[in-house]
Amino acid sequence: MQRVPALEAKDITLRYKSSGRGIEGLNISVNPGEVFGLVGPNGSGKSTLLRVLSTVVEPDSGEFRVGGADGLREKRKVRTKLGLMVDRPTHYGDLSGWANAYFFASLYGMEEKKTEGALTELFEYFDLAPYRDDRVKTYSYGMGKKLALIEALAHGPDVLLLDEPSLGLDYTSQLALQRKIRDLASSSVAIVLASNQVDEVESLCDRVAFLHDGRIVAEGTPEDLISSLKGVRRIVATLRNPVEYRPVEGVAGVDRIVPEGRDLVVHCEDRPGIVADVVAGIVRAGGDITDLAVRRPSLEDVFVKLTGEALRDEDQPA
Amino acid sequence: MKINPPDAYWKKDVALFFGKRFALLIKMIYPLAIIVPVAASGIPAQYAAAVIGIVAVMAGTFGAGESLTIDLNDGILVRVALTPISPRRVVFEVLAVNAVLDLVQLLPALVIVYILHPVSLMWVVAATFAVFATLVTANAIGIFIANFTSSPADVLLYATAILFPLIYLSGFFRNQHPEGILAFLRKFVPFAYMNDALKTVFGLSAKSAPMDIFIYPTLICAVLVFAVCLTAPRLLSPRL
Repeated sequence: MQRVPALEAKDITLRYKSSGRGIEGLNISVNPGEVFGLVGPNGSGKSTLLRVLSTVVEPDSGEFRVGGADGLREKRKVRTKLGLMVDRPTHYGDLSGWANAYFFASLYGMEEKKTEGALTELFEYFDLAPYRDDRVKTYSYGMGKKLALIEALAHGPDVLLLDEPSLGLDYTSQLALQRKIRDLASSSVAIVLASNQVDEVESLCDRVAFLHDGRIVAEGTPEDLISSLKGVRRIVATLRNPVEYRPVEGVAGVDRIVPEGRDLVVHCEDRPGIVADVVAGIVRAGGDITDLAVRRPSLEDVFVKLTGEALRDEDQPA
Repeated sequence: MKINPPDAYWKKDVALFFGKRFALLIKMIYPLAIIVPVAASGIPAQYAAAVIGIVAVMAGTFGAGESLTIDLNDGILVRVALTPISPRRVVFEVLAVNAVLDLVQLLPALVIVYILHPVSLMWVVAATFAVFATLVTANAIGIFIANFTSSPADVLLYATAILFPLIYLSGFFRNQHPEGILAFLRKFVPFAYMNDALKTVFGLSAKSAPMDIFIYPTLICAVLVFAVCLTAPRLLSPRL
């Protein structure tokens, strides 16, 4: 018997009239228990796709189904199956965290006892229990994100749409979130995770789609995508002082250089002697190297290779 | 019945209304501060009725319109709209709960008016009902305006443009004895019935019979509530 996808979107196109940007002909399919990553720089269309899938906006064309329900014609049915966490969550600031979560759980038709049980567990899981009766306007950004996660999970959705869920969370909470995502996936919840946290996507997602200018430019398992980069290396040089690194770009085999704080990340071919050549180039440019690492390619390298662009704004070349 | 934590949209609004103590104090005091001195003074009945009418109209229109646009700008209303609850139900609850809470604000002042100007119980009930119908109408106007703007300041501007002709038609200050088309149009404005009922409370002879005050505003409000609820899907969608 053929497995019914938890979420299936076909040929989704949406262009914003104001900017002309949007998404074009996107197709995705996510099975129950699968974690699907959407990766792309700001403006690539991740959030727009999530807006469509969460029924916030209707696409110009295309269709999607959630648990078999038509996303355009059976919106309320679709909404009961979805758990949603947006990038910048909002709450009623003058209500407590508990009251906010209770309110949203009730809107999903949950009974009092079930709501209290689910919320108690989630507030404890995300370490918000001591603050549950505080007004949300006193919460930090990270606490607000945790509350939004609780609201997304409380009603036990079949499909979870998460937009940058770990952004703003402390390290412990990020780990708790990753554990929760794995637990949910093992209990057959389908999860769509839009994120630029490449490490998180690589470790959590079963499949990943790269978005660029509103289109999917590559899709596959993280292992397959990374192994497609045979012959690519990443040299990370930590410098004592910033340098004008353009001369290093002239080294044979160097594809791209991205400054990340005190690190200079050099994407290059995997050829004999290239590490020595890159180090020599940095020294010639006046760089004082305090640490050096040669790393295997990551999903970020895949994206750079595919599009010639960085995933994050701060990675743009100077 | 448990209000906080809220398990319905209207309970959330009630919890927020009673949760902010200082704001609640101001909301309860300002109608008293405006209405009681007017009721206790010897100003002509039609102007005393007009002052109460203006307070009711302003409280209703600006209350719902402003709070809705603020929630729309925050994105919280769109979040609510993404739950399985019907957008029309959300808008109905916004309208109903705001009208009731506005009445709660005005009720102490109205009670003092009835004590200072005793009338038959029938007129007390009719006047209170007419004030409520005005609040429903005013809130419906506020919600209607929120469809076209995301700025609370614009709500004030547009509300003024809509309310002025309605207040004129109702005969609060000018147009006290309308004829012809103005008299015909006046029948469709719930503010007019409130004005008639309050004038009676302050001692003028009644223009409308008590049953008119119950029947016509009810019918007009039902149409308005239905029409405003039809705008719900647009109102609760994001402004892109």
